[in-house]
Amino acid sequence: MKNSILLIFLIVLVSSCAKDSDLTTDQANFTRIYDNNKFDASNYPIDIKQTSDGGFLILGGRRLTDSNFSGAYLMKVDQLGMFVSELEVPSDKVTPIGPLLVVNDKYYFFTMTAIGLKTELHEVNADAAITKTIPVVGDGGGGYPAAAYNDNGRFLLLRYDNVRKETVVDVVNTAGVTSSFIGFSVGRSDAVEAPIIEHFLRTGKQFPFQVGKTSSGNYFFNGFYNYTFSLVFTDLVSDQPGVVQGQQDDGGFSYLMPISGNSFAAARFNFGDNYLLPLVTLNPSDISSSVDLGGNNLPELANNAPVRIISATVNGKDLSLYGSNTRSKQISLYGYEKTTGKFLGSRYLGFSNPYEITAMTATKDGGLAVCGTTYVAGRFPRICLFKISREELAKSFK
Amino acid sequence: MIACCLALTAQGQGKKRAANFNASKTKANANQFIEQQWWLGFKSGINWAQADPLKRYTILLPTNYSSSAVEKKYDAFQEIGIQTTVEISYYYKGFYFSTQPGYISSTFTYSNQLQWVNPTVSNEKLTQTYRQSQKVEYAEFPFIIKYDITGSKLRPYVQVGVFYSILLNAVKTVSVSSLDEAAGGTNTITSEPLIVGVKDLFSNYGGWMGGVGASYQLGNVRLVLDASYRQSLSNIVNPQNRFANDRLSGIGDAQDDLNLKNVVISAGVLFPLRYLSSNFKSNDR
Repeated sequence: MKNSILLIFLIVLVSSCAKDSDLTTDQANFTRIYDNNKFDASNYPIDIKQTSDGGFLILGGRRLTDSNFSGAYLMKVDQLGMFVSELEVPSDKVTPIGPLLVVNDKYYFFTMTAIGLKTELHEVNADAAITKTIPVVGDGGGGYPAAAYNDNGRFLLLRYDNVRKETVVDVVNTAGVTSSFIGFSVGRSDAVEAPIIEHFLRTGKQFPFQVGKTSSGNYFFNGFYNYTFSLVFTDLVSDQPGVVQGQQDDGGFSYLMPISGNSFAAARFNFGDNYLLPLVTLNPSDISSSVDLGGNNLPELANNAPVRIISATVNGKDLSLYGSNTRSKQISLYGYEKTTGKFLGSRYLGFSNPYEITAMTATKDGGLAVCGTTYVAGRFPRICLFKISREELAKSFK
Repeated sequence: MIACCLALTAQGQGKKRAANFNASKTKANANQFIEQQWWLGFKSGINWAQADPLKRYTILLPTNYSSSAVEKKYDAFQEIGIQTTVEISYYYKGFYFSTQPGYISSTFTYSNQLQWVNPTVSNEKLTQTYRQSQKVEYAEFPFIIKYDITGSKLRPYVQVGVFYSILLNAVKTVSVSSLDEAAGGTNTITSEPLIVGVKDLFSNYGGWMGGVGASYQLGNVRLVLDASYRQSLSNIVNPQNRFANDRLSGIGDAQDDLNLKNVVISAGVLFPLRYLSSNFKSNDR
């Protein structure tokens, strides 16, 4: 009898110790919203990178009271998504652009000066502290940075030159020196320039400016060219580029991720509609129209929704993982097999308060971090971060 | 109903057995009866629950104010739950070795408050109160040792035991109320509560219990009233699914690791299963 009683007590005790939280579980999945209790605080993320300590560095923008442009903001969170530190970059640095560019464990991003409108390059450590600010010299110092790309340690800087009325691609090194550049006319018309300036002031449509390089060595940018928001291929020398035209400022590509050769995972917008093209081949030396490319029309997406695409490995498959915003104010994720474009599944993040995507990054543990903006209490824009584990991704994208 | 049927069956068997007894053994059997007995019965009652955070989790992380300002505050034993059990006890020399499998439903509550202020106009602010009511339902399998303090008709007893609870269901109700003092006046906004099934958020758990009670002999049956305190020995939350529910994450709720406590009051009736006849009363003579 005594042994039986002891056995019962032992069984209950052992069964009670099996499911405590641990660090691995806690950092596998989480949702965080970084709140500021001031009415007028308005931060929005631009890009996120996982740091070597497992935490995350977030580059953002913030509303300024003494400038029409947005200021820069940096935040460090740990591997659990817990807030560590923030930096409100002084308001003389405006219009920060992403992505965060990583060279030798240092992080870089561009802004421009509020007075003089000159481009600057900021070097940041993994703790969200600016360690160096470098004025960009040469053509790249001309202001209005719109997008950037890390080309093996040198940076491609896409910017709008408001004097020459050109979209310019500058090649800038980590010392801020411009080694080469090429400009393409946007067209000499106030009607063309107005939406560009409104983009920088954040008073109008936010255009998906992008610059990058294909695996076959072609450079490309997504920006204004010849009166139209277009995808332009360039060798950084010739002034006769290949172009995939949009529809003035009402159509064009939302995002492109080179896959191989001239193949891309892409998304495009056209008069509010959104089309996902999980595997599309583009001609880098011809002139064509994005309207002719078709694609999967997703009526659930918000008008001219921003789209992000990253490579991820889920269930042993290479995916093109799309992130966008739905009309129901959720963040939507869509997975497509990278080499075939086959649809593998979708997932939705957020509820009740509006959620909007800004950036995604695959994490070292095989999961995914999605950074965006939510409107706390339906009104205060705040940065949010979703961490999704490898196992959860495997359930969503089979 | 089941308990009554079992009791009647037991009574019939007892009568058959009693008929075979010869008179010379009566006294010895009576003594044996006093020393040991099986009891079967049922109990029902109400309980109050309180959850204590073992480890706190939050979705909303302040960047310019203290995190204690948004911390959840757990209410102590506020909402009433119900429970019903079947009791099977073996009595031996004042001790009862009892199992009381049953159903228990508990509700615990907590709340937290968020506030945003206009730094330039201090009386302009928005205050939001999130009130969460969490109902959890379990099948419980306790093993309890009871001891009769006296052997009279009214028998007070003490009891101690362990239990294992298997999760049946869990539902969370979230109510959000806002006091908006930033729209040119004072406006109280109460939204319809959000009701979410959250079975995935909880798990089975084990615990211990202790309490006091009393039984009263009424004919061959005993009426029982007892009170006990129960506490989980581990986290009742499934940490794997803490952030899995987008509806809850979306409104900023992450379940803390929790220790569940209950104060339980039950009343019921017990029937003796052995030597039940007109010659042998279940109480000691």
